[in-house]
Amino acid sequence: MSAESIPARGGTLRRSVLGKVFATPKGGIAGAYLCFLVLLAIFAPWITPYPYDAQDLPVASQAPSWVHWLGTDEFGRDVLSRIMYGARTSLSVSATAIAISVFVGMVMGAAAGYFGGLLDRAVTTVVDLSWSFPEILLALILVAIIGPGLDSTMFAIGIAYLAQFTRLTRAQILSLKGETYIEATINLGASHGHIVFRHLMPNALAPVIVCGMLATGDAIILEATLGFFGLGAQPPVPSWGAMMSSGSALIFKAPWIIIFPGLVVAVSVIAINLFGDALVRALDIRARLREG
Amino acid sequence: MAEPARDLVQIRGLGKVFESRKGLFGKSRSLKAVSAVDLDIPRGKVTGVVGESGCGKSTLARLVVRLLRPSEGRITFDGVDLQQQSNTAMRRLRRRIQMVFQDPYSAIDPRYTVADALLEPFQVQGIRLPAAEARAKVAGLLDMVRLGREMAGSYPHQLSGGQRQRIGIARALAFKPDFLVLDEPTASLDVSIQAQIIALLEQLKAELGLTYLFISHDLGLVRYFCDRIVVMYLGRVVEILPEPRAKPRHPYTRTLLESTFAPDPNQRRDISRLTGEIASAYELPAGCAFAARCAFADETCRARVPELMTDASGHATACFHPLN
Amino acid sequence: MALLEVRDLSIDIAGIKPLDGIGFAVDRGQILGLVGESGSGKSLTALSVMGLLPLIGGRVERGSIRFDGAELTQLSEPELRRLRGRRIAFITQNPMTSLDPVMRVGAQIDQVSRLHLGLDAKAAAARSIGLMERLRIPAAATVYHHYPQELSGGMKQRIVIAMALSADPDLIIADEPTTALDVTIQAQIIQLLVELVRDRGVALVLITHDMGVVAQACDRVVVLYAGRVAESNSVREIFASPRHPYTKALIGCIPRDGMAPGSLAGIPGSVPSVARYPAGCRFNPRCSEVLPLCPEVVPPLERMPSSGEVACHAVAAKVSHG
Repeated sequence: MSAESIPARGGTLRRSVLGKVFATPKGGIAGAYLCFLVLLAIFAPWITPYPYDAQDLPVASQAPSWVHWLGTDEFGRDVLSRIMYGARTSLSVSATAIAISVFVGMVMGAAAGYFGGLLDRAVTTVVDLSWSFPEILLALILVAIIGPGLDSTMFAIGIAYLAQFTRLTRAQILSLKGETYIEATINLGASHGHIVFRHLMPNALAPVIVCGMLATGDAIILEATLGFFGLGAQPPVPSWGAMMSSGSALIFKAPWIIIFPGLVVAVSVIAINLFGDALVRALDIRARLREG
Repeated sequence: MAEPARDLVQIRGLGKVFESRKGLFGKSRSLKAVSAVDLDIPRGKVTGVVGESGCGKSTLARLVVRLLRPSEGRITFDGVDLQQQSNTAMRRLRRRIQMVFQDPYSAIDPRYTVADALLEPFQVQGIRLPAAEARAKVAGLLDMVRLGREMAGSYPHQLSGGQRQRIGIARALAFKPDFLVLDEPTASLDVSIQAQIIALLEQLKAELGLTYLFISHDLGLVRYFCDRIVVMYLGRVVEILPEPRAKPRHPYTRTLLESTFAPDPNQRRDISRLTGEIASAYELPAGCAFAARCAFADETCRARVPELMTDASGHATACFHPLN
Repeated sequence: MALLEVRDLSIDIAGIKPLDGIGFAVDRGQILGLVGESGSGKSLTALSVMGLLPLIGGRVERGSIRFDGAELTQLSEPELRRLRGRRIAFITQNPMTSLDPVMRVGAQIDQVSRLHLGLDAKAAAARSIGLMERLRIPAAATVYHHYPQELSGGMKQRIVIAMALSADPDLIIADEPTTALDVTIQAQIIQLLVELVRDRGVALVLITHDMGVVAQACDRVVVLYAGRVAESNSVREIFASPRHPYTKALIGCIPRDGMAPGSLAGIPGSVPSVARYPAGCRFNPRCSEVLPLCPEVVPPLERMPSSGEVACHAVAAKVSHG
């Protein structure tokens, strides 16, 4: 239906938003770091100096040196390599969990917001109930029921954040429903599907994406927390949280074991928040331009 | 073939009640937005509906295009009862009945280009257009509303209010409808732009043989643009003027006329007689809704609702004590 | 000397000059209409007179605003605050947002007289109720205790007017006070304002886009276009013989009785945005009487031999040729 002379919908908007984000110092630096982290996670098996599970007891708990840049842990495993591998765990778990959460949350929120009535009541009640639990508690309960491991961590985190995205989408849909262009589209004879997928969802997407970004930061911390309690990835698969947990016993003798993973968690979460901030601002300007 | 009916649209006994509930356990209040409206909309003419807040004109507009379902009454379009239509049939009918909305700033999805917005009617109606034809349609519609073809790639936020409203009109004309309902199409536009849009609407009516239902709060504009004027107050039709210069017989219409200042300092009015507030549509009084503000109201007026009576010239009034 | 005299007012907001060379005067017992469409600068003019430009990051770049002899542009913020509410009152467009939703309306009117006139609670309440009755608010003593959301738009606007009058100001600036109201209510409010001016001898600057309101209420009219004065004259002259092409076109845009169908034409083009003002006369791209000089040179506001002032090269040319 669209010809070349008629520009593609949405494409130009999306590109310029990302462009704006990377143009700012905050967004640029944070974005660069995040890209770096992602690449690290993807290529970890090929670029780590040592395998993550290679124990070398004679050099256990050694301070950072030219041989082991970030030192070794209590089993002589290279901290740097384990951190790089840990990126895989943390990023994959949190990103996947949040992605699923966003998807399911959007579907539920959109259905509740668009159709209203009994469906809305049901969804809102469930959401409000889970909303009253702090995410960590919810995640702990779920993992306790299912048992520890990467999969259950992913599932627990996904469920913990579901309420947030459902509520956000529902609120967006409710406010968008009243827009004149929705009325106009109904007036053209559009079906529910057309309205929801061509107009409501795309316009509701922006804040949900930003929220998803920021939630990923939270999720990394949540994953680290679960890992700290031994409920996340099981050894010897490294996870930043588990590394911090085992490092806590040696905090005075070999502080690098807990400090470096902790630092990476902190920096990564800060980077995500800064990037999310810049994204909000870039989207906001778009919105303001639209009105002006 | 039978002569097409003189009236394109016939409305009988139309009513719409909105229920709202305060909280989960609160009492539900009903809002009688429109009550007992009888109206004929003649083919090829501009029928104006004028009134202030709460009069129900916007609700009436939405009932006529079936954006809202009536609580009671019947709407007949070109002999077809709109209530009886299936969803599919109604979708086809929407090629002949269209609406132009008040707010040009939110009438187009901000993510859609002008071309996207103009092609959406075809998409919704399930018509696949090959690229060249799509381009031609977009160009044709832009020409129709006197906009440059280069606007096809623009986004709404890059256009002025007047231009956006023209897009809204172009979209409504995609299938060359017979009947256009215009809900205060110029209310949010500057006076000079309003005049442009009205001029465009006049030209389009002549070119395409359109019938208009023109909703507005601006009596001056309605008197200029419309052939017939329907005056509504708190959900009811109180008067129908068969032509704009007809002298009002209902006290409310006269109040409305007097409140509409002419752009002429030599026609200053003494409006010290105007009093009262418009009642809330949630608490409609038992009798004539205007009785509380009317200088001529008496017990009959407060007890019973006057019926709309039409005389030989087509002038209809719902009043126990009409003027003149 | 008039109560309020604005001369050659130009303001600057973040490098842009939305107002340029604005001038007008209004005296006690007079109603001046400041007319323009969106983007004409009428609200900015009001903000400038009230000294509220810093709120939106603006400042007066040049020009003078003299109120009762005092030069407002030279006053400090505390001195301006003494004037605001007490001698110059401001009525905004939207009564929904000018009233505090968590305070009863009576108390909001009381605030003004207590602050500016030093009245105690009882005296202030009595004064407020008296004002409300003067503004034809029925059952004023009861309405006094209501919250804003319990009142209709027309009532709320009357409360806002009462607040404006409470300290007995000499000048009221009303920015589109009836735009958000229904037609019949608008008529009542306009009538009220006219009566107030006649009875109390206040000066009123009525900012509006509605020429009908101007014709009904104003004594003098100043027509603004894109931040500049196009024409100013008495109300009768403006309507009887408008001179500036914009004024003529604007009046022609208003549907009136006796107009032949198809004669409503509009003005081609649209108001330029502040960032893209044309050089020379800002109206020149849309003007039917444009001369080669117009896009080059800004037309000065000149006094006409008959009456009024016009800023237009075409008009000046006609006048000098007799």
